[in-house]
Amino acid sequence: MQVLLVEDDAVLSDGLTRVLQSHGMQVDVAADGLVADKLLLNPRCSVAVLDIGLPGIDGFEVVRRLRARGSLLPVLLLTARDAVEDRVRGLELGADDYLVKPFATAELVARIRALARRNAAPTSILSVGQLTLDPDTRRARIGARTLDLSVREWAVLEYLLHQLGRVVSKQQIIEAILPWGDDLTTNAVEVYVSRLRLKLQDAGIEIRTIRGFGYMLEANV
Amino acid sequence: MNSIRLRLLAWLVGPILLFNFAVASLTYLLAWTPAQRAFDDSLRAHAVALAQDLRAGIDPARLVLAREPEDLDSAWFSVRATSGGRLLAGRANLPVAAGSQVRDAMLDGETVRVTSRVVAVDGEALALTVATTVRQRQQVRSTIVRALVLLEVAFTLSLGGLAWFSISNGLAPLARLRSALNRRERADLAPLDPAATPRELAAVVIAFNSLLARLAASARSQDAFLADVAHQLRNPLAGAKLQLEWLATRHQADPDSVRALALMKQANERMIRQTSQLLALARAEPSRSIRARFKPLDLAALVAESVQLFVTQAAGRGIDLGFELDPAPLRGERFMLRDLVDNLVDNALRYTPQGGTVTVRTSMGSDGAVLEVEDSGPGIPAAKRARVFQRHVRLDQQSSGSGLGLAIVRDIAKVHGATAAVADAHGSSGALFTVKFKI
Repeated sequence: MQVLLVEDDAVLSDGLTRVLQSHGMQVDVAADGLVADKLLLNPRCSVAVLDIGLPGIDGFEVVRRLRARGSLLPVLLLTARDAVEDRVRGLELGADDYLVKPFATAELVARIRALARRNAAPTSILSVGQLTLDPDTRRARIGARTLDLSVREWAVLEYLLHQLGRVVSKQQIIEAILPWGDDLTTNAVEVYVSRLRLKLQDAGIEIRTIRGFGYMLEANV
Repeated sequence: MNSIRLRLLAWLVGPILLFNFAVASLTYLLAWTPAQRAFDDSLRAHAVALAQDLRAGIDPARLVLAREPEDLDSAWFSVRATSGGRLLAGRANLPVAAGSQVRDAMLDGETVRVTSRVVAVDGEALALTVATTVRQRQQVRSTIVRALVLLEVAFTLSLGGLAWFSISNGLAPLARLRSALNRRERADLAPLDPAATPRELAAVVIAFNSLLARLAASARSQDAFLADVAHQLRNPLAGAKLQLEWLATRHQADPDSVRALALMKQANERMIRQTSQLLALARAEPSRSIRARFKPLDLAALVAESVQLFVTQAAGRGIDLGFELDPAPLRGERFMLRDLVDNLVDNALRYTPQGGTVTVRTSMGSDGAVLEVEDSGPGIPAAKRARVFQRHVRLDQQSSGSGLGLAIVRDIAKVHGATAAVADAHGSSGALFTVKFKI
């Protein structure tokens, strides 16, 4: 996955680059709004991560010009200011998401992945620890061993994998796996998760319970 | 003299006292002079009577002064020949007054009034002198003086009391102004209403308002400066955080590096936390426009937005963090309320030992939305509860907090018309923080 990172703070830019690279992304870096604007004339990336406070032109303006050209490239805005006006303005101008510094690394990575998925072909293989999920063939494996999953278990696991490292509520899970508004109780979600836990015991991942709220899928360290 | 009341009192009572003294002196003269004259007239009448007796040929040796038995005063007379001064009758050492006026003289160390006249008897001129002590007139005089002094004292006291009362009444607007200022909240820099104060104070109020306006402006620019600094710090702090995380993954094998990096990460987290708290404090300063920015929100949704952050924090401390989130609609400012929730949860996580539990609840109470954060930490002794919401109060010296978190909670609650309180936890020894909003 190719990411364009536009950030003028050298330390932060360097740190972000390393983090994103360690999560398997290729990173192009720009430190100036005008340079970024030029690079975005022919975007080679699948997601742009834009700081708002930039020399040249600010992040808002970069997004505005990008959208004015009709580009649908997913844009994540980063900002040190968390005033609600900034957020509203950014989203109105056509940014897709918004993150306030300093952020949790997992949060950033998860949001970039979520944005990239929106435009990517749905065939990307998901893998964490020993577990791999191929949405194309609907086949799940732990190492070389094939894993048997029901349709609902598959849906829950796929959603959790997409949200790796993020806390998701049971309601979010229900909405994600049942887009047609079918009725599903939170108890049912609990049942699916406990079954998944049994099946994923040696997969090198863990589904943590957030008491009274939901779950978080993590890779075991 | 630094009191308006005393100054007014002095300027009112002083001249009145002076005036009274003048009036009293005049009264004394007016009362005393006729009395003196009456006594002198009676002395003269004695002299006239004796002179008539002499002229009628009565032997001087047989002259008698007519006396009333209840007279306090003693009276004497003497008759001398004008030529040679031989004493013909009466008391020998009686002084002789020149002329026919009644005069003061001394007799045996006592003041007396004396009058003399020349009487021609059988072609011989005799000097007749009559004298009387002044005991009765002194008694009369002291009666007058005593009455005047009593009157003056009573008059002065009641006048002083009246003046005090009137001045206090007149100064009441000042007292009202003072209590209006005393009642104000710490950060309330709203101008006073000049229309509500008397004309004489209006100028003071206007001057005071301009001072308040300057203060408010400087407070605002201070807040803006704080917010600016906090924002400026976020970039390098976020950068350092990422670099540290990256270093930590690279040096997992070296225990010394792991330890040092963990410490640096802790310091970094603390700086990030305190920077956010500075921002929260700057935001929580109540301003008039804040309520206009309130929007309908759900407390449960607000907590849900921060769950990720809380879970990361709790996992780092080995604490079981749970939620019981029922819908809790309210009107408020999103970021301030998130600051409130963040600080309450952060506080609970900070004071709860490893392996403990923290539970965050939202619900609808009888008056409105309720936020509860319950922990299994050491709890807060009842005696210290009143102080926990003050700035820079830490309950123990081990924790690394800035002592600002709960002050932020209180400030934000206040801006929202909510109350923040702490009690014993339901199930354990810990603390239960409750913020109650009103619809």
